[in-house]
Amino acid sequence: MQFKFTKFATVLLASGIISLPLAAHANDSAELEELRALVQQLDQQVRVLARKGEISNEEAVAAKKTTPVVKASENGFGFESADGKNSIKFKGLLHIDNRNFSDVNGLGSDGKNISGFDFRRIRPTIEGTVFGKYDFRFTPEFGEAKTTSTSSTSGIVDAYIDARFQPSFKVRAGKFRPFVGLERLQSGSDIKFMERSYVSSNILPNRDLGAAIHGDVLEGKLNYSVGVYNGVVDGGDITTVQDTNVDKEYAARIFATPFKDSDSVLAGLGFGLAATHGNFKGLSSASGLPGYKTAGQQSTFFAYTANTVFANGARDRISPQAYYYYGPFGVITEYARVSQDVTNGSISEKLENDAWQIAGSYLLTGEDASFKGVKPKQVFNTDGDGWGAWELVARYQENNIDNAAFSTAGSGAGLRYADPRNNASAAKSWAAGINWYLNQNVKVVLNYEQTSFVGGGQVNSANLATGAFTNITDRPDEKALFTRLQLSY
Amino acid sequence: MKKSLLAIALLAAAFGTATPLMAIAKDISLLNVSYDPTRELYQDFNNAFSKYWLAKTGDKVTVKGSHGGSGKQARAIIDGLDADVATLALAYDVDQLSEKGKLIPKDWQKRLPHNSSPYTSTIVLLVRKGNPKNIKDWDDLIKPGVSVITPNPKTSGGARWNYLAAWAYAQKKNGGDEAKTKEFVNKLFKNVPVLDTGARGSTTTFVERGIGDVLLAWENEAFLAQKELGVGKFEIVVPSLSILAEPPVTVVDKFAKKHGTEAVSKAYLEYLYTEEGQEIAAKNYYRPTLASVAKKYEGQFPKVNFVKIDDDFGGWQIAQKKHFSDGGTFDQIYQK
Repeated sequence: MQFKFTKFATVLLASGIISLPLAAHANDSAELEELRALVQQLDQQVRVLARKGEISNEEAVAAKKTTPVVKASENGFGFESADGKNSIKFKGLLHIDNRNFSDVNGLGSDGKNISGFDFRRIRPTIEGTVFGKYDFRFTPEFGEAKTTSTSSTSGIVDAYIDARFQPSFKVRAGKFRPFVGLERLQSGSDIKFMERSYVSSNILPNRDLGAAIHGDVLEGKLNYSVGVYNGVVDGGDITTVQDTNVDKEYAARIFATPFKDSDSVLAGLGFGLAATHGNFKGLSSASGLPGYKTAGQQSTFFAYTANTVFANGARDRISPQAYYYYGPFGVITEYARVSQDVTNGSISEKLENDAWQIAGSYLLTGEDASFKGVKPKQVFNTDGDGWGAWELVARYQENNIDNAAFSTAGSGAGLRYADPRNNASAAKSWAAGINWYLNQNVKVVLNYEQTSFVGGGQVNSANLATGAFTNITDRPDEKALFTRLQLSY
Repeated sequence: MKKSLLAIALLAAAFGTATPLMAIAKDISLLNVSYDPTRELYQDFNNAFSKYWLAKTGDKVTVKGSHGGSGKQARAIIDGLDADVATLALAYDVDQLSEKGKLIPKDWQKRLPHNSSPYTSTIVLLVRKGNPKNIKDWDDLIKPGVSVITPNPKTSGGARWNYLAAWAYAQKKNGGDEAKTKEFVNKLFKNVPVLDTGARGSTTTFVERGIGDVLLAWENEAFLAQKELGVGKFEIVVPSLSILAEPPVTVVDKFAKKHGTEAVSKAYLEYLYTEEGQEIAAKNYYRPTLASVAKKYEGQFPKVNFVKIDDDFGGWQIAQKKHFSDGGTFDQIYQK
């Protein structure tokens, strides 16, 4: 380069060009002017580009204040206003089950339990918020075929508005899970077993129409609720039609998590007490009395005598409840007792049935257990190392019927509240299973549950005139192997 | 506030209905939603009005201001920005509050003098010191190599006045030939490197960012830039023809009623027409409409050959539809 420049200068000198200082000066000046103009032009272009960038940023900031946000991720789908005060979420819960029963009583045309595939839940949900504090939720049900239900089920699972005036003062109205049962309040996508326990399924209300005041106080460590509802039979899911019963049911619950958000080993401890009170006088069209299902939720192991036995007054329930989560370990336990005034002709009596459960879970892959589901540390990936989260679960539960329900007081079979020949006085179930969380939206469940019964089998000898039954055998054990593929978002 | 009400109720109960309630001073808050370059004007005016209202009624008034492109501000009010008063750049934007928002009556313009425009202004050319591109009139803005700064007529009221002033000049020059007029304005906008959303943004572009050779500006904004933002750095060029801009004001009835501020909002706007209000406008380089103040500040404002929106464009409704609505002349020009 240096050589070339030197050669070039030599040629210029030889040609006498740079020996003309005036002409050279004139050329330099013009060139400088051109360069100055060029620099100015480039300077303007750079400034324009920078300013356009500023304006774009300003417009983007302004637009962000008003542009609705569309959300689509593993946490759900939906959209919300720029200020977050108005939003819609589209959620869904799909349970595709395969249910295999041992050859015992059931709903099949041959009188046996039906095994096979079943859509236990098909629940699209729309939920959202308007004006920043008025939440709503609407969930229809397209699943729950009669393989799991002998009675008609409502097409609407949830339809309610929840006004969050303060964290300590919220008002919910519509059809929803009454604030009573602990496991019932756990989302259907988060329950550890294929079916909830007898406490939730057979004793405490499932869904009801009503209104409740609820909230969190003491920095969120104490949750309370009081509500008034139309009232449902044990384990009942009310329809959305007009209530035929004049009296309403009242429910209250208090639940404490005193060590929440602390470093204590008790941080995951929660315990509480719930109660309901109502009155119901049964009619031939609606006895006001429940039937209790087996753990497999297909057949009924206990029912009051139809057409002659009715609810006749107070129905009171009480349910102490607790959970504890520590690291990958979790346990949930509940007890519920219902006192029900019943009548059969001229005989009336207060009967007390109860149920309890204790269930434990352990996450083999080390995730933290909680009341609100499992988020795998690593999602299952066919192309990578992730295997999702694996969880072992076990449960023992009982449902006991008041012995007085089978009383022979008075005489004659027709005077009893329930016939002991085909109604068991207790169901006792143990279950074990494994849950595989492929990711936070997809889960595979495998449960084995075995239930033994007290009575309800058959009678070897009877004296119908005196109502004396002897040698009643037990109903055969129910053995159920269930698998489920769950999609929830 | 709730405690005050409770105290009043208790006192009323204690003294009985026969005892007249004492007048109690109130704290009043007003929101004035205005266009981009009026920040300084209303800062001064709000202070003056607060003092005036306190002396007159004993009530303390705090006026908050919101400023932006006039069209954007009108849309914000229609979308729920609950302004007690709107002081926008042009009547079309206020019309929208009636037509689309149903927030004010149709005849809002008749409620205050001078078609509800307490002050006027015009469009001038602001150039850099020494006028290096020798810009003297609109013709110079379409020359190659001249960089013109103006905001976007879609969002800015001032930009629409700029556009119409240029259009009026070209129309007159070309004897009303619309094609040639459009071509003139087309050439002008080809020389615009940046479109800000509001007049204050364009002032920033020209004055602070050093972009462009000439700023099409509100007269008041040009004075502000020349005398306060960049003393000695700019010169004002008054074109041979410009447009008389009449920025209107109105109470936003629906929101003022909701806030219980109708009376004070009306008084606020009426105060703009008083001698003190007009003095403040003039000091902020707006042309006063009150004859006595206009005469006093006669020397401050250059003589301009004006066209008027009603006389030369058939009013704002027609001008807006022809030039600035979707598919109007501006869209035809700017999308080329």
